[in-house]
Amino acid sequence: MSLTSYIIRRLLYVIPVLLGVCFLVFLLFNVVSPDPTISMLGKHATQAQVLELREVLGLNEPLHIQYFNTVKSAFTFDFGRSWSTKQEISEMIKSGAIPSATVTFPAFIISFLLSVSISLFVAFYRGTFFDRAAVVVCVTLMSISSLVYILVGQWFFAFHLGWFEISGYEEGFPDVVPYVLLPILIIVVLSVGPDVRFYRTIMLDEIYQDYVRTARAKGLSEKVIMFKHVLKNAMVSIITYVVLKIPFLILGSLLIESFFGIPGLGGITLKAVNSSDYPVIKAMTVLSAIALIIFNLLTDVLYKVVDPRVQLK
Amino acid sequence: MRFPSLLLFLLASSLLFTSCTKKTDEKGKTLYLAVSSQVKGMDPIYANDRYSGNEVARVYEGLLQYDYFRRPYTLAPNLAEAMPTVSEDGLTYTFKVLKGVVFQDDAAFPEGKGRELTAEDFVYSIKRLADPKLQGLGWWLLDGKIKGLNEWRNKYAELPKTDYEEEVEGLKALDRYTLQFKLSKPFPQFLYSLAMPFTYAVAREVVEKYGDEFLNHPVGTGPFAIRDGVFKQTKKIYYVKNPTFREKLYPCEGSEEFKEKGFLKDCGKKLPLVDRLEVNIIEENQPRWLNFEKGRVDFVAVPKDNFDSVIPDAKNLGNDYKEKKIELLISPALDITYIAFNHDLALFKNNKKLRRAMSLAYDIDEANKKFNNNQAIRAQSIVPPGIAGYMESYKSPYRGRGRKEDIEKAKKLLAEAGFPEGKGLPVITYDCPNNTVSRHQGEYFQLQMAKIGINVKVIQNPWPELQKKITTRNVMTYGIAWSADYPDAENFLQLIYGPNRAPGANGSGYDNPEFNKLFKVASVMQDGPERTALYEKMNRMAAEEVPWIFLVHRQSFVVKHGWLKNYISTDFEAGISQYFDVDKKLKKETLKKL
Repeated sequence: MSLTSYIIRRLLYVIPVLLGVCFLVFLLFNVVSPDPTISMLGKHATQAQVLELREVLGLNEPLHIQYFNTVKSAFTFDFGRSWSTKQEISEMIKSGAIPSATVTFPAFIISFLLSVSISLFVAFYRGTFFDRAAVVVCVTLMSISSLVYILVGQWFFAFHLGWFEISGYEEGFPDVVPYVLLPILIIVVLSVGPDVRFYRTIMLDEIYQDYVRTARAKGLSEKVIMFKHVLKNAMVSIITYVVLKIPFLILGSLLIESFFGIPGLGGITLKAVNSSDYPVIKAMTVLSAIALIIFNLLTDVLYKVVDPRVQLK
Repeated sequence: MRFPSLLLFLLASSLLFTSCTKKTDEKGKTLYLAVSSQVKGMDPIYANDRYSGNEVARVYEGLLQYDYFRRPYTLAPNLAEAMPTVSEDGLTYTFKVLKGVVFQDDAAFPEGKGRELTAEDFVYSIKRLADPKLQGLGWWLLDGKIKGLNEWRNKYAELPKTDYEEEVEGLKALDRYTLQFKLSKPFPQFLYSLAMPFTYAVAREVVEKYGDEFLNHPVGTGPFAIRDGVFKQTKKIYYVKNPTFREKLYPCEGSEEFKEKGFLKDCGKKLPLVDRLEVNIIEENQPRWLNFEKGRVDFVAVPKDNFDSVIPDAKNLGNDYKEKKIELLISPALDITYIAFNHDLALFKNNKKLRRAMSLAYDIDEANKKFNNNQAIRAQSIVPPGIAGYMESYKSPYRGRGRKEDIEKAKKLLAEAGFPEGKGLPVITYDCPNNTVSRHQGEYFQLQMAKIGINVKVIQNPWPELQKKITTRNVMTYGIAWSADYPDAENFLQLIYGPNRAPGANGSGYDNPEFNKLFKVASVMQDGPERTALYEKMNRMAAEEVPWIFLVHRQSFVVKHGWLKNYISTDFEAGISQYFDVDKKLKKETLKKL
């Protein structure tokens, strides 16, 4: 099967997946969940107002019409306005995705490069002091709660030493830089532990393969073996791990954004759930599902690129 | 790049960019404020939370306002020339709207020049609040109160489009500057509605130009205008002084306590006193507090976690803070926290003794220490201090304080209720929101009830789920709080008025015919000693009937930097930033020490 027809076929999978996602979201929020109008109207709601608002929001329509509207919005990307803030959802997502990505993308790239380099290094020196020390450091880093990094980082580096801004966000370069550096650094520290352990395991798996022994027997240098052979073969697993992380970068990080005052998408879904804001929940669920399908597809295509032996079926 | 090099690189970049972007000495004065919650938008009819209401009130204004320098809380004219004339039957209110007030300049007006505000703008703005298509969140304020307005609303709920031209009998502009309200029944609290952001004046041209996006294009008559004209849902909101703001002057009169403290020194100065305003939305306590300590924010409420270090004796600031010229303001809040019983259940409805026993078993003193730094006021009944109806010397006979005699009495009452040592009682559920403090409060309630043999199960819920449970009467007991919408005991007493049962404000469903009768009488009475006596009678009745376990009236602890002038803690914050001033010289000196 050609790559193009494979991609087309996989993209067509989006349709049943979206229908399924819409059904689940619809079932969870329109059928099972509490009446959103009560929390929207607040402490003075009357029965008459609840009924009126249900009418305005279309919650009195028959269920199949409501389901059809959910599906329609998913396929047209017209999610309307948030019930709680009355803001245009597409605008909310657009204006939140950029600040989120401003923090998470640099952090992602830095932590990826750093983790792969460290894991190659420790794999090369496997079993030595460096390797063991790296494992201990990684486990220690992983064992500390992210909240501790945030609280201590903010207090010590930003408040006490004054190296960074305590919190906030400014649009545009370079104004944004002092605000995002500390969050980036914290995300890097948070990611390095698990990432190094994961990449190290992959590298070690490869190092004991027959082709590495053959390469050594042929007299290739360790540098060539590590970078040309081991890294290349480890790429399939690394790509799976890395590419599937990308959609979550746009969604941001709830704690980091909340503590550093970054107007990203980190808390958008949680806030929507807490205020029964169905249009926002729908939009975020549908977009996350589409992003996951697309990045899964991208992963498969990349397999083929890094390893021509991979067959796409 | 190895880790230390990366750290050095980030650090160097930070210092470089911080110095590049650091603001040099600004011209004029800027206020730096911090709020703890996202602001939804700038449409007055949706401003049902404190944070959105405060932002709306920087740009928009109403006919009335709370006099910032008077206690008890008193209404004063704002966009009205004077307080209204009221007909003898208390049903007709006539206002003269201030002349010469203009809306901020905006493209919605001819040649972009803001036009003059008229009485018709209030008619339009209030109809907007009543518009069934918009579902304004402050409709409850006027529901059933203005003659013809409910009929108008009901008519257009059925039709595809609302007609604002159709006249409403009780809401008329008699001429360009005269506005008349006719009420369908006496409602003494009506004037408070006109000081709330829901009823602030908007311009029809602006609403029609921006349509659904109106909430992001605030154009009012207020002291500040949003910078660049567009509100963005971000973490910072910038305002500038409204260049076309009318000649509104700093007050020269006020309560003695404020006169004595020198709050009226700026008498006669043109408002607002600052040129710019920067509102930072900082949801977490730590960054909000650290920003305050660094001088990036002018005032904040003291977070619970910092309470002991900031106010070691619970009354005065620690010396470190005094040296930094930080000042502490303590003021009681108009609110109440409580545990409500579900009166639909025969278990509670018909068993006053059980309710009293549970109230007596609950040690409020220990709870106050645990959850309020021992600084809240123990609630004896429903009305908080600061408003008519509160009885300072009254002590409820069923207010438990952890004393041996309280527990003995509670046990005795429980036995008389038919449940000696709790035998025969089912497990009582306690529903609360799903946050840590609420859980701790639930567990504390569990411990208190265990003292007399009552088993309590704590159930945590997301907020919408808890509301649904309360509305559908699917709870046994639940913990909640109420803050005043306006400074009148009616706003608290209505919480146990039978006809207000859920989804109305009476979530517990308490329904006592005798109380209802008194409430009905008091609710149409004008303020005066007779009404106060009635409020006190109802307040006492509530204490003895124990429809809820009354917990506390909280106090607010705010710290401010010495350079911020004219800040007073208040329950009604709408519009107060126009009075604030900044002592730039003192700020410059103090910042060096922070």
